[in-house]
Amino acid sequence: MALLFRTHYNLARESISKNRTRSFLTCLGIAIGVASIILILSLMGSIRNLVDGQVKAAGSDLIVVRPSSIKNTVESVVEQLTSSGQYRNSNLSLKDVSSIAALPEVAAAAPIVQINATLTANRVNDNGENYTSTVESAPVVATSADFAKVQNLVLSSGSFLEKHYNDNIAVVGRSLSLSLFGTTEPVAKTFSLFGEKFIVVGALPEADDPINFNNIDFDNSVFVNAEFLVKKGENIQVQQINVKAKNTDKMDELAGKIREEVIANKAGDTNFSVLYGDDISHPANGLFMIVSGMLTLVAGISLVVGGIGIMNIMLVSVAERTHEIGIRKSVGATSGNILLQFLFESFILSGLGGLFGLVLGYTLAFFISIVTPFAPYIDLSILGMTLATSFTIGLVFGIYPALKAAKKNPIESLRHSR
Amino acid sequence: MVANNSVIIDLKKICKRYGYGDAAIFALRDFDLQVKQGEFIMIMGPSGCGKTTLLNVIGLLDKSSDGTYTLAGHPVERISARKKAKFRSKKIGIIFQDFNLIPTMNILDNVALPLVYAGFTKVRREKQADEVLSRFHLQPKEYYMPAQLSGGQKQRVAIARSLVSDPEIILADEPTGNLDSRSAHIVMEELKAIHEEGNTIIMVTHNPSLTTYATRVINMLDGQIDTDIKTVADKDLPEPVSIHFGKKKEKE
Repeated sequence: MALLFRTHYNLARESISKNRTRSFLTCLGIAIGVASIILILSLMGSIRNLVDGQVKAAGSDLIVVRPSSIKNTVESVVEQLTSSGQYRNSNLSLKDVSSIAALPEVAAAAPIVQINATLTANRVNDNGENYTSTVESAPVVATSADFAKVQNLVLSSGSFLEKHYNDNIAVVGRSLSLSLFGTTEPVAKTFSLFGEKFIVVGALPEADDPINFNNIDFDNSVFVNAEFLVKKGENIQVQQINVKAKNTDKMDELAGKIREEVIANKAGDTNFSVLYGDDISHPANGLFMIVSGMLTLVAGISLVVGGIGIMNIMLVSVAERTHEIGIRKSVGATSGNILLQFLFESFILSGLGGLFGLVLGYTLAFFISIVTPFAPYIDLSILGMTLATSFTIGLVFGIYPALKAAKKNPIESLRHSR
Repeated sequence: MVANNSVIIDLKKICKRYGYGDAAIFALRDFDLQVKQGEFIMIMGPSGCGKTTLLNVIGLLDKSSDGTYTLAGHPVERISARKKAKFRSKKIGIIFQDFNLIPTMNILDNVALPLVYAGFTKVRREKQADEVLSRFHLQPKEYYMPAQLSGGQKQRVAIARSLVSDPEIILADEPTGNLDSRSAHIVMEELKAIHEEGNTIIMVTHNPSLTTYATRVINMLDGQIDTDIKTVADKDLPEPVSIHFGKKKEKE
């Protein structure tokens, strides 16, 4: 049996090498599908690793409180994604932040409130003329000085919302600073927000984490004190509370205490989550899981198209080799022998396509990693799954042509014109 | 020469029908034939009389619609398709008028093809194919492609392929039909030599001059035997190779 398998393998290899161009193009169909899947899964894996890395970098002493209870299900992530203005309906408030901060085990607690607003600043052009620089819909993050402690933020200059003679102080991201002030040194410059003048007390360095668990675009955001929004009469809805524990020994105990505090503030409302460790990155990971699932599905369609290409070329091959099938049957080939011969051929075509796609996918992922922070993510399970899928495609799409070849009548096949 | 020749092929009331009802056409009609080991049968007759159909039925390439066919004591109706294929690869050698060599394979591989399905290793296949090709003086052309050979050479390759697995029965469907007289003569001399070794040969031909090689000449008409003439008595047939279908064969 092993001998016959080897013979079929050799026959298939010979047949493929005799039609090199055709075989290459057929393999390419599968390779493109496999490469797309590999690229998507590699990028998504890399992004997931990035977020996990950030949570780890923020420290094992980090606890995050988020509105609405988060379940580890795809449905909950979809619900979060599809419910518009989820943060606007947040049930967390600044009162929760202060009661959490009052806990003896808590080193720092900072709220995150994100809104969009228009920023204006007076600038002087090269001719010495005054003009107003405006940034529409800039992300405004209302938080507190503790945010820097919780996040271990390092500023490029100045300080982060430290208590000051003036409450209207701000910290700006690097890109925003450039577009608003035309400089990366914005400290002591002023701008207007909601009709009030703000002075910049700190500047952030260039952020290398465009995707993070806080959902903040650090480069383009302006950070102000949350009290300012209270003063302006805005209905403050805290989207997230970041908490830094004094020690990491009893995180679960502290999380329980925080939960009790917040429940007490909300008269029994438990619709919020207290997360620490790997759970913090879950919503982001859940989102990427869905996105990668969708993209993989689309790439999977191209794999199916590649499979149809294999079936098509195998059907052509069977038609072209009908006479050969007749000869083989007349000298003793069984229908099973013919079936195996053609099945091996489609199997090898899809396997080669899979291997080629694997190399292509990771090469593309490598090139993308040069211009993005996403390092190629190589996982053995992804490799195995992708190769198994391409072999299965070969088997599924090769079975019909192989059966067609096996069922051919030897006499009619011998009569078939070459 | 010994008169130890038993019946190897026994056809009784064989019918081969194409189509149904009023449109039914009989290629073979109540065909009875007994072939003894070591016979060289020449089957003649006009086109469409059922010669090739008879050969296909005997060669297990086609099934009869009716009647019983016993091959070396085995009722063919009870033999599985897999076993039939095994018989074709080991016990029956078939030679076609248009050679039927695979154009994409070299001569050596073409000749070794039946051994692929008989379960021989590549080395043994090539060794055996090489031996049989040397018998036909085609060893220097082992790595030629079929298109590089003349008609006569191609037919000799086809004969070599039919002999490579050392079969007991050789079926030849107009093997000289596409050859010039010189090549035809060479091919017939080869078949004569094979017959003298004790093999059973059934050959279809349109050429009456070739009947001199035969030990029995059958004329067919409308799917039936018209005349059946033995030119050599059974006792004068060559000593046959022993037939053990399903077991290893030994020369007696």
